[in-house]
Amino acid sequence: MRRVLLGLSLMLSALLGVSSPVASSWAAAPSLVGKNAPDFVLKAMDGRNLRMSEFRGQVVLVNFWARWAGDSRQEMPALDRINTTYSRAGLVVLGVSVDEDLGRAREFAGAMKVSYPIMFDTGAAIGRDYLLQKMPMTILVDRAGVVRYSNVGFKRGDERAYLDHIRELLRE
Amino acid sequence: MNPKYRVVSIIARGALLACAWAAGAALAAPSAATAAAGSPPTATAPATPASGTTAAPDVAPADNFKTLDQEVQGLKKDVIDLNKDLFVLEEELLFPSNTQVALYVSMDVGAFFALDSVTVKIDNKEVKNYLYTAREADALLKGGVQQIYLGNLKVGKHELVAFFTGKGPAERDYKRGATINFDKGIGAKYLELKITDRVAKHQPEFSIKDWE
Repeated sequence: MRRVLLGLSLMLSALLGVSSPVASSWAAAPSLVGKNAPDFVLKAMDGRNLRMSEFRGQVVLVNFWARWAGDSRQEMPALDRINTTYSRAGLVVLGVSVDEDLGRAREFAGAMKVSYPIMFDTGAAIGRDYLLQKMPMTILVDRAGVVRYSNVGFKRGDERAYLDHIRELLRE
Repeated sequence: MNPKYRVVSIIARGALLACAWAAGAALAAPSAATAAAGSPPTATAPATPASGTTAAPDVAPADNFKTLDQEVQGLKKDVIDLNKDLFVLEEELLFPSNTQVALYVSMDVGAFFALDSVTVKIDNKEVKNYLYTAREADALLKGGVQQIYLGNLKVGKHELVAFFTGKGPAERDYKRGATINFDKGIGAKYLELKITDRVAKHQPEFSIKDWE
């Protein structure tokens, strides 16, 4: 019965013409690019609960980071600058820690002094949904809630690519 | 209607729609190609007065497009209806009314409590842990009722425990529980987790209502 339902659902999707946007060449995790961003809700450091789907209509940059990933130390200040500049234009930056040690992750996040919300995925459930491969990982979600770009790791100059894609998505 | 007949009916409707869609696409392709080329209307237009024919050939392609567009819109509507039927059917199959248990959360006033999360345990097993965003809590305060859990339970006695966390009076962290022992009979069971204000004590009150 489930197979029949699944088959019918697939047929309906095909009929409705639901198609994924073209994947970017920048994408290092093509399996998630072009798909709807999995929804999640997490508690931020300031005590607020934030739900991914509530940012529909805005461009969202989700940065998965870990205290033990050296690149995160370089990437977070760059993202903070991007957030400061583009938050008024409709960009939302979310930092999600995948550290198991919540106390030390909080300490690290506090020391980084970033202006965007930091959340903690201690159970790694959200990381699994987002098919995390390597830390840090940054994804860009468009206004319709579709993952458009994904970047694994961080090296100098990546922030320029982020800016190009952010501007492109903000214009849509 | 019997679920078997509903499935057969839905499959038949789906197949019909697929055929109609394919036919529509086949019709649209040559028309679109003709329109893209643009030559027939411009080529025939000067010849029309000379031959004494009406302007019908110029209007016809536009009309064709209009009817085709209407057909496509109709098909899309049918597909959406079919999808809705499938959803209802799936829910009936996954949660048959004989074993279905549904939990709802409601909040009244909320002056003494800001809801942060609800954890639900049935027979000592955690079935749901829900974090509320400010918008969701606000929606509950405005009279919204949220279905927090839908599942299956065997007929018999069960225990449900709900833990509510949030900010209580004077912004203090607040965690309270509410318990209910209920009999699951034949037929769906509906339970409501209610958060109300007890004005006399300046405290929130948590209760579980069994909707018979």
